[in-house]
Amino acid sequence: MMKLRLSGLSCGVCANFRRPISLCYSNSISSSSAEVKPKIPLYLRPLSFSASLSELTQWHKWAKNLASSVGSSFVHLDNGPDSTLLRRELNWLLQDLLELQHHSAILSHLESGNSENVDVSVALRAPLEELYCVWRQRIEERRPFQYVVGCEHWRDLVLSVQEGVLIPRPETEMIIDLVENVALNKFPELAKGFWADLGTGSGAIAIATARTLSTHAHAHGRVIATDLSPVAIAVAAFNVQIYGLQDVVEVRKGSWFEPLKDVRGKLAGVLSNPPYVPSGDISGLQAEVGQHEPKLALDGGISGTSDLLHLIDGAASMLKPGGFFALETNGEKQSKFLVDYIENDKPGSFCNINIVSDFAGIQRFVMGFRQ
Amino acid sequence: MATAAMGGGFVNVMKSVDHIVRGNGVSLLVKAAPTSTSGNFFVSLKRRGWQLYCSNSNSDSYLKLRDEELMRQCEMETFKASGPGGQHRNKRESAVRIKHLPTGIVAQAVEDRSQHKNRASALARLRTLIALKVRNPVPLRTYSPPAELLQILPPNSTLRASHSGPQIGPNNPKFVLGMQALLDLIFAVEGSVSEAAKFLGMSTGALSRLILSDGSLWMAVNELRASKGLKPLK
Repeated sequence: MMKLRLSGLSCGVCANFRRPISLCYSNSISSSSAEVKPKIPLYLRPLSFSASLSELTQWHKWAKNLASSVGSSFVHLDNGPDSTLLRRELNWLLQDLLELQHHSAILSHLESGNSENVDVSVALRAPLEELYCVWRQRIEERRPFQYVVGCEHWRDLVLSVQEGVLIPRPETEMIIDLVENVALNKFPELAKGFWADLGTGSGAIAIATARTLSTHAHAHGRVIATDLSPVAIAVAAFNVQIYGLQDVVEVRKGSWFEPLKDVRGKLAGVLSNPPYVPSGDISGLQAEVGQHEPKLALDGGISGTSDLLHLIDGAASMLKPGGFFALETNGEKQSKFLVDYIENDKPGSFCNINIVSDFAGIQRFVMGFRQ
Repeated sequence: MATAAMGGGFVNVMKSVDHIVRGNGVSLLVKAAPTSTSGNFFVSLKRRGWQLYCSNSNSDSYLKLRDEELMRQCEMETFKASGPGGQHRNKRESAVRIKHLPTGIVAQAVEDRSQHKNRASALARLRTLIALKVRNPVPLRTYSPPAELLQILPPNSTLRASHSGPQIGPNNPKFVLGMQALLDLIFAVEGSVSEAAKFLGMSTGALSRLILSDGSLWMAVNELRASKGLKPLK
């Protein structure tokens, strides 16, 4: 990979912002190679760079102005972020960039605008020229903030993410509450079985489920995470390693249930946040999603339900009697459609079918038990 | 489905939670426990947007509840998603707003990156607000300061024993318990700092310095003094 080193701090570093993103990172992955090497998120990189406080202040002022210049134009354009959210993201970028113990002191210095100690050197996890580059990408290319810093905070986890992997959504956090409060509290023996997270992406559901299983006494539950995407497989495996769960979570490459033939009829739980956006909606998505996140993880076919239906069919044959399933959907219409499908096309297969709303009141999840 | 609530953009999640509770007979993280307010009397002294609640039951126990227990007395509201949400959306708006149902006190947090952290921050803020706003009766004739109040007093207080440990400052989560007990005492002595200082075995100056050391405590004492027709502490 090319390594871009620039001496100046010119704002024109990435003037041609349509250039490939790989120019901004020295550790980019190549999608053509068979073995995908996951990117190290900013917060985990060593503090091997530095800038003077005045240089950092200059960058911060520039970045803040760029964020402010957006106003609410993205909101009107495609319901994207406004400048308030972008400025908050800028603070989070600083959190990941700086040494934790100095973060608040430096941030208050940057906010105060005072010109003392400008020659003090500040240790950074990325060179300043890269920061100019990535913040320009954030604003001008609408590159998702989570790809810029290489991580997303989800539940109590910090998960690595990168281009090619769906950024886990806050709505999906509730699937873990369903596992805990609906399945495991009522049927503790499920904590001992095999669970599957299908289309795991970053591994979010698999890792959080594994941690939940491990809180149950005498539980030796395991989670198998599957994904078709080699980038997702690499990133999920990296995240599993970060949380030291290699013995609990196994990442397997393949489509949906295909790599799970050895546990057919034995699964204690089936969980998934499959692609559910109807194909026709993809082009109207906010730029951060539609232009940067993998279509493979978003596009659910004409009505958005083709993968969801496949998962229901699979759950019927893969779950053991009493096994639990929870699936995320696009909302009311899809949830009702799935429940109808289960009741009319899979009679006798499942029981206690329920639709559960997310924090915004949207009927987001369909869950139930294998008869 | 969603019940629009005050404050713009927040929705009530109780309906969805209620759905799970009814559907499965098990409870979820954010469940409102039926809390009886009978036996408490809430005197609302509205002054410049502040409310003071008085209670004759042991409401200081709110602060002694564990996080999960306190959360069960709360209604949680999160930021209302505009549009279909889920995979359609990438906006890190993980704002959390919690309402403590027995007192009606609302606390919120928006600055953290995950809802988990925002919920923890909002809960910590709720504890501070309960300490500042909920007053408990103090039996002055038999008064001796509780251990959590002794912990926030400076070492020169004569009532402070060696087992009280080092003085706890405003950044310690245990400070709110001491702060509540101190405000209860000041409320009982009608806002007089010198009277309160006598009960604590310290000089009026030393107690004033303690009050001034925390901005929200200072403001609460002055609100309380104003309600009794006293001059603000400076």
